Amino acid sequence: MPSQPIPGTPSGRPRVLVAMSGGVDSSVAAALLHEQGYDVIGATMKLFCYGDTVPDRPCCSLDSIDDARRVCQRLGIPHYVLNLEAPFSHDVVDDFVSEYARGRTPIPCVRCNTFTKFRDLVRRADGFDAGFVATGHYARVIDGALHRGRDPAKDQSYFLWGIDRAALRRLLLPVGGLTKAETRDVARSLGLDVVSEKVESQDICFVPDGDHVKVIRARLGDDAPALARGPILHVDGRQVGVHDGYARYTIGQRRGLPGGFDEPLFVVEIRPADRAVIVGPRERLLGHGLVARELNWLGSAPTLGTLVTVQARHRARAVEAEVVRMGTEELELALQEPLSAIAPGQSMVLYAGERVVGGGVIERAAGPRASLPVRAA
Amino acid sequence: MPQPIYLDHAATTPVRPEVVDAMTPFFGPRFGNPSSAHRWGREARVALDEARERLARCLGANTDEICFTSGGTESDNLAILGAWRALRATKVAVVTTPIEHKAVLAAAHQVAREGGEERIVDVDRGGIVIPGSFDLAVDNRVAICSVMWVNNEIGVLQDIPKLASIARERGALFHTDAVQAFGKVTIDASSIPFDALSISGHKLGAPKGVGAMYLRRGTPLEPLMHGGMQDRGRRPGTENVAMAVGLARAAELALAEREAEGARLARLRNRLEEALLSRIPDALVHGRNAPRAPHILNISVPGTDSESLLMALDMQGVACSAGSACQSGNLTPSHVLTAIGVRHDLATAAIRMSFGSLSAEEDVDRVAQLFPALIVKARRLAGATL
Repeated sequence: MPSQPIPGTPSGRPRVLVAMSGGVDSSVAAALLHEQGYDVIGATMKLFCYGDTVPDRPCCSLDSIDDARRVCQRLGIPHYVLNLEAPFSHDVVDDFVSEYARGRTPIPCVRCNTFTKFRDLVRRADGFDAGFVATGHYARVIDGALHRGRDPAKDQSYFLWGIDRAALRRLLLPVGGLTKAETRDVARSLGLDVVSEKVESQDICFVPDGDHVKVIRARLGDDAPALARGPILHVDGRQVGVHDGYARYTIGQRRGLPGGFDEPLFVVEIRPADRAVIVGPRERLLGHGLVARELNWLGSAPTLGTLVTVQARHRARAVEAEVVRMGTEELELALQEPLSAIAPGQSMVLYAGERVVGGGVIERAAGPRASLPVRAA
Repeated sequence: MPQPIYLDHAATTPVRPEVVDAMTPFFGPRFGNPSSAHRWGREARVALDEARERLARCLGANTDEICFTSGGTESDNLAILGAWRALRATKVAVVTTPIEHKAVLAAAHQVAREGGEERIVDVDRGGIVIPGSFDLAVDNRVAICSVMWVNNEIGVLQDIPKLASIARERGALFHTDAVQAFGKVTIDASSIPFDALSISGHKLGAPKGVGAMYLRRGTPLEPLMHGGMQDRGRRPGTENVAMAVGLARAAELALAEREAEGARLARLRNRLEEALLSRIPDALVHGRNAPRAPHILNISVPGTDSESLLMALDMQGVACSAGSACQSGNLTPSHVLTAIGVRHDLATAAIRMSFGSLSAEEDVDRVAQLFPALIVKARRLAGATL
């Protein structure tokens, strides 16, 4: 707890709005802050509604709201439901669908963090006179800078590169210094039985049964080109099959492809223009560089020629890279060693050691560097 | 935290100590089943009959016209679906209004799903049923009409004696949801020609889970549940003696205090309404120009939203609701406000304050101070996010 009370907070204690999903991580986050003496308010964001079509889901369902409410009741703190359905639909779900329609592989969690949690929720915190916002993310803020979570198996910093850097000074991530096992231990020791043994949700919260095609169909209709039949082409030009919609595919995928070839085939490209899914052998997945857009920097932006560590998928290993092109809109990296299945729409996150420098959305893989970096005139 | 203020009596009320006292013996020594032939059974039967008699007296009804239920929702469903199903061979339609409680609207929708016809009459901008529209809707094809006596969201009061008379002239049954009306208006089955009426215990100081349906003698009804012959077969299942006793006691108390309490609540409501309107000149009080029950104040302030305001009020210890007590996180504007033509942005800003036994003048004055300050802040934050 900060040594000085924050002036202007009604209780004289620093007030924090904790985003509570009803899961163990955010419940423990709230409990730890409460123990540390913060004036904690729990809030569950209602982000979407399945209507009557899907019975129950591990996240964001009303049951989860009830679990969060029970945890707050146990801690003796207030709990509110914040309805953010309209902005979430606009900022996260619309983008998710249009990215698939463009033949890309989006990560909605990144946009949810960027827009829903660390913009909209932060604004709601102002309404509560809360100086701080907390979540159950496995990441750490150290000296005002975002770092990887202590547990490498759980680290979620990859999803947080897009947040407004001004929000960092108001951000508390109490479980970022714990391992998942330790988080569960804390939950048990605090008697949070409601959540301590909860199974973790791996799916995207608004996608029922992990079937993203349902969401795309609901938004774009049955006759959307992304869901229409199209050719599966081999990189050598042969047509080797047909598919039922390129939105069902992602770069690096093997499932749903024809068999009977000498070597296993993978999706290496998705081409919406002719609805083609291009397949090829494993080595065609290797990228030696990448181009990213929608850049966001949590510290000072890297400059041309800087050596950085880049991670281009969640849980993928990070590799060394050099900034070979740097503009306000676009950045290009040359990778020191090739990465497999660099997918447009995924995030590339730059790290300096454990610290998150910033990131962007992958536009495309790039070839090996042809020459020395081109310096701006 | 200052003393919390409860301004949500239309959602529910605390059980009165007199009611707890009246009920207590039936959880202990007087536990018998009213259908049993032995002394325990007789004792329970006498208590149940007495409760029925006392509640009947409160409504100007005969004893056999009272049916105990689990609450307002069951009473509404039993009256509408029960009567319609009994009459459907010759009368296919039900008539109701767009500002009913969901229990009535959903029962009417169910009628339509079962092949009947649902007719919704028009209300004016004050929330009052337009007589011409009602007149037009009620013909000899109508099994039952259902019009809420006092609206639970905005408090407006319908002319039930007149509407019930029209229905009777046309040969249609008439039901009224009187959940918010009981203890606030004169309800007399011997002089007002309604055929069925719903009340709920927890709105008047009895526990949740008990209510009653008045059903005029001779009114056809198909029960919703099937079983024994309890409550003349209208509501099978072992009677909840303790709850029936509690409801009767609460109803008697509410009736005895009706005039004085009604006047007191009207004073409080008007005091707060005037204070808020003078401090927030562009605020809109829904149903203000219509006849209203004394205990409900529903107000919208442009540039705010209910969800944020309710949380801000709760943080200050003030309990209100947006429209009716809704499901968590439901932002759909109130169907009542929408039906009376309130603009979407104002409908999603509505705050319902409802007065009752826990309300005192100090509370009103504190809310009158605090609410305008919250409005200023809410508008500032809303402006900042534009």
